Amino acid sequence: MSGLAEPTAAQPPPARRRVARWWATAESLLERAGDRLNPILVKEARQALKSRLFVVTFGLLLICAWGGTIVGLAIIGPEAAFGFRGSTMFAVYFVILAFALLVIVPFGAFRSLAVEQEDRTYELLSITALGPAQIIRGKLTSALLQMLIYLSAISPCLGFTYLLRGIDFVTILYILGWLVLASLGLSAIALLLGTLTEQRQLQVILSVMTIVGLLFAFGVAISVAMIVLFEEALPFSEPQFWTTSGALLSVYLSYLVLIYLAAVSRITFASQNRSTPLRIVMVVQHMLFTGWLAVLAIVVQIGDPDFYAFCMIILVLHWYAMGSVMLGESPELSLRARRRLPQSFLGRVFFTWFNPGPATGYVFALCGTLASAAMTAAGAAVVGNLGGVVVRGARLSADRVFGVFLLGVLSLCYVAFYLGVALLLIRLLRRWARIDVLGATLIQVVLVLVGCGLPPVIQAMSLPWRSQGWTVLQATNFFWTLSDLAAGQRLPPGMEQTVWLLPAMALAVFVLNLRGILREVEYVRVAKPTRVAEEDAALAPPPPPPPRPSPWD
Amino acid sequence: MSHAMIELRGLHRFFGPTRAVDDVSFQVHAGQVFGYIGPNGAGKTTSMRILATLDQPTAGDAFVDGFSVVEDPDRVRRRLGFMPDYFGTYANVDVAEYLDFYARAYHLRGPARREAVDRVMHFTGLDVLADKPINGLSKGMKQRLCLGRALVHDPPVMVLDEPAAGLDPRARIELREMIRGLAKQGKTILISSHILTELAEMCDVVGIIERGKLIAVGTVDEIQSRVRRPHNVVEVALLDGVDVLGNWLLERPGVSAIALDGQTLRFAHEGNAEAEADLLRAMIEAGFRVSAFGARRQTLEDVFMQVTQGLVQ
Repeated sequence: MSGLAEPTAAQPPPARRRVARWWATAESLLERAGDRLNPILVKEARQALKSRLFVVTFGLLLICAWGGTIVGLAIIGPEAAFGFRGSTMFAVYFVILAFALLVIVPFGAFRSLAVEQEDRTYELLSITALGPAQIIRGKLTSALLQMLIYLSAISPCLGFTYLLRGIDFVTILYILGWLVLASLGLSAIALLLGTLTEQRQLQVILSVMTIVGLLFAFGVAISVAMIVLFEEALPFSEPQFWTTSGALLSVYLSYLVLIYLAAVSRITFASQNRSTPLRIVMVVQHMLFTGWLAVLAIVVQIGDPDFYAFCMIILVLHWYAMGSVMLGESPELSLRARRRLPQSFLGRVFFTWFNPGPATGYVFALCGTLASAAMTAAGAAVVGNLGGVVVRGARLSADRVFGVFLLGVLSLCYVAFYLGVALLLIRLLRRWARIDVLGATLIQVVLVLVGCGLPPVIQAMSLPWRSQGWTVLQATNFFWTLSDLAAGQRLPPGMEQTVWLLPAMALAVFVLNLRGILREVEYVRVAKPTRVAEEDAALAPPPPPPPRPSPWD
Repeated sequence: MSHAMIELRGLHRFFGPTRAVDDVSFQVHAGQVFGYIGPNGAGKTTSMRILATLDQPTAGDAFVDGFSVVEDPDRVRRRLGFMPDYFGTYANVDVAEYLDFYARAYHLRGPARREAVDRVMHFTGLDVLADKPINGLSKGMKQRLCLGRALVHDPPVMVLDEPAAGLDPRARIELREMIRGLAKQGKTILISSHILTELAEMCDVVGIIERGKLIAVGTVDEIQSRVRRPHNVVEVALLDGVDVLGNWLLERPGVSAIALDGQTLRFAHEGNAEAEADLLRAMIEAGFRVSAFGARRQTLEDVFMQVTQGLVQ
């Protein structure tokens, strides 16, 4: 060792060292956060940054916003300094932003799935460890990221509208909030449509339908925004406004979850239970509707029977649509799905209807329809004479309450009849062809066209019936029957036979389906294969058994 | 013997009246390389897609490491690396990003992910092209990238569908070396290819499929002994009179499967080297102007030609 001191490397000043340390910590944290991000979000963000389409769209948005500002200010002129023209400028920016958020982003979501299928990257993606939910979530968050980028690009312009006066901050936030929610909802629907088929021709048809639908939604959004901005200001000070907004938000969220889960189930492998999560959401939705209806019936005390008839029709249509989709499920329950079937008596009685299968779906939809009809009729009864509650306006007569009750009974009969006939047809057609959700829905559409479209045509072409109103020929025409009943809240002349005819028809169809229902009810739990049990035990040893078995298990 | 890492059990896959896979059963044990061969449309890709959980069998089942591809595809996917007969690449993505995406998709995080991507790029020789856009890669490089994608989560089972299709000789040899490397690592490999000479060098076991039916399984020697008595393939080149030689040979004992290729004639001959020498002498004595005469053991190609009938559906 030499006696000379070794030259030491020049140390950076302490402040710079602190910054470097802080930077290294931040980088490590960011990287760890990046690891947690959905891989599809990361990949699509990277792709978008290099994509010409995104650069062009983003550039166009900025150019339109700048152009709108210049033209708008030129038209407003000196009034910009002392007038209240914020709403006008906001409307300009809203149209630009709404086009990006309601047309470009959702269509991009639809195309991103379609392109994956066209380029066959979807197959490779589907066999990775990414679950179907992660794939759909990745696509949705990618759409959300795009929305935020567009929104942040135009936010200085939106701030500018506030400075121009004439529009308050809450209105701006409220409108933008709903715009983002609408964009997210439309993106979820677009993703669901993207999962419906892998056939090129059908994809093209779906693309056209998606664009038309998105443009329609864009038009509706513009119309609503214009009404809010120029005709009817939002009554923020009224509590009912926020109650209604809360109700709308909860309904929106429930449907968003339903659509998201439907898209997930579409790309989930066949042996997985793809139906139970959807049915749980349907029940939650039903409970949500019940809650809001109770609020409206008891707290707000809406005394108009038409309101209850309207609610009933909406709920019945909801269950009818859900039932139509559930009929497309496979009647064979996979061994994997059978591993988790309820075993106890109570569990089997109450939870069997949550199992996948068209027949269980049929019964499930009927239960939902029955509950909806009972709930709305009860609502009418509570606020009517039967409940003895004095409501705003006139008291409801027993006849009118009975009208709502009758509407419920007939709606239930129609749902049982139409879904039941479709179930019989699907079972028959499955001997020769594969019927999926899309096919089942199409069968239902055809049935409705025949049942509701044909009788009015026949009646119109028949001399004795031509000039009459509702006749027994319209027994299968639920549009005519229910709208007449809802309008009068009591049986229109000539409809008395239907009261007996429809339940008989519905019961007959239900009885014909009993064999299929019983077959699906007979499935029992099966044990896990040994290899699966071995791996599960190796990955997570089973916890000690609970002291008392649950009667619901 | 070790347990089967791949098992097809009475596998059927029908597309309407077409029986793409018709009651196929075989096993591949841990560490084995199984060559899956057959004419175009024989059902190789369909079986492989079912194994990769991309398709559902009409009947029967397939298992990877004991897990059913029908009932537990999620568990199968974690153990399987599938390289299909197409690339499946994204636009506006470079090599490193592509592999990074799939590493993330297999839930690899932080250093483990970086190590996996580096390992795969090094193994496939793509490290020098890490920042290159995928669209600019040659076919051979894309094929390497796809092999890398299938390997990124280090699966014990690999299913490779025609990995050498459309590659130039150099790229093919390089790919073959990579697959040999994987076999040395102890991976169980199911590989289909129509370049039979290459398969013969790599595979421990061969399965021959035609019109959806598995018609032979075993080593090349086993199949050969099962199909016909062992024989050599003899090639004779003549200056002229090849057609006449064909007829002349048909009258000789132990001669069969005569095929003509220009001025060269190929036939199967049952007998030892002495019998072959006698045959050559007889040919010359009969006046044929022989310019070349050689005998060799049967190759996989010869076995394949004997076993299959060239039928398509």
